[in-house]
Amino acid sequence: MSAQALEGFLARIYADAGARAKFRANPRAEAQRAGLNEAEYAAMARMDWTELELAARSFAKKRAGKQKSWWKRVREWMRRKSA
Amino acid sequence: MADAEEGAEAAVSKATFDQGLMRWREERKVTKRDRIGMGWRPELAAGIVENLDKIDVIEVIADDFFGARKSKLEGLRFLAEQAQVVLHGVGMGLASAALVEERRLAQMAKLVERVRPEGWSEHLAFVRGGGVEIGHLAAPPRTAATVEGAARNIRRAREVVGTAPEVENIATLVEPPGDWPEWEWVHRTIAASGAGLLLDLHNLYANAMNHGYDAVAALRAIPAECFETIHIAGGKLIPATDGRDRLLDDHLHDVPDPVYALLEAATSRAMRPLTVILERDGRYPAMGELLEQIAAARAAVRRGRARAEMLGESTSRMGEVAA
Repeated sequence: MSAQALEGFLARIYADAGARAKFRANPRAEAQRAGLNEAEYAAMARMDWTELELAARSFAKKRAGKQKSWWKRVREWMRRKSA
Repeated sequence: MADAEEGAEAAVSKATFDQGLMRWREERKVTKRDRIGMGWRPELAAGIVENLDKIDVIEVIADDFFGARKSKLEGLRFLAEQAQVVLHGVGMGLASAALVEERRLAQMAKLVERVRPEGWSEHLAFVRGGGVEIGHLAAPPRTAATVEGAARNIRRAREVVGTAPEVENIATLVEPPGDWPEWEWVHRTIAASGAGLLLDLHNLYANAMNHGYDAVAALRAIPAECFETIHIAGGKLIPATDGRDRLLDDHLHDVPDPVYALLEAATSRAMRPLTVILERDGRYPAMGELLEQIAAARAAVRRGRARAEMLGESTSRMGEVAA
């Protein structure tokens, strides 16, 4: 089991509501599917769900903000091009 | 008669000038050793440029200039020629068992080469994993693997960019999986990498509040030689489903008093000159209000230095008595 697999799983849990729901419903199976060992599964299972949801909401907001600013930059570029 | 009046007028203005100079020297005394500045944001640009006499150093978000137009880069280089500028990265994701992307290091190296800042910094965070972009600075697993990975990434950053980054402790609403509490993991990472710590006091304050530890005790556990660059900012309380509010480090609010108190405490132990940066990322108040927060930070630093002097004096007096 590589540390990068744990990071990948944690990144999905932080960023993907579907992955969170699946992990919450069946934590051991989802952890095994991701290749986590028993200790890593136990560490993930100890995470506080209230805090996790708050953090996930905050990350989602940041991603939405970046998306928005990306579109803003595209619109500005198009406006400059057409001017 | 006219000559006498002119002479008196000249004497008065000379006295006024001298008084002003003395007052200015007194006010700036702290900056001979310590500097207080703020983060550069486009919305604040005009206000910052107009008040460079009150802002000792400017911290620029490096990622905003990666791949920027030539004119924008020239503007930043011009700013760095007029003022003390440091660069701050947000997207590298150094705290990871995965290798930091060479493309991002090359972008930072190019910007550093072009702007020639005093220094640069990044976060002890991971921002992507397994092909997933988290979208913001996230707490990595606190394991030996991320300590080793972060140390390797920081060493690689030093090789590519030419200088090592200072690395910043992040705010996290959730405690990640791992073997150590936050500050033990931070200390291990700093020790393994040899990097300097950029101490974000609001992040420390928020994490302490959210995860139930004592911010003052955590600060006390940080070795004094680590205090060199400090961030201060504000946040807001957000409700949680368990009924206990959490403090969100959003940089949209004023610096709270406990953060100034932590700044004073950090300064009282600092062994080197400090650079303190006020961060504000939105809901911008009038520039005057931000300058008041810079002045408050300057006052906290001054109090910290005074406290250190007093302690030093009392220690030496105790030594005299003992002798």
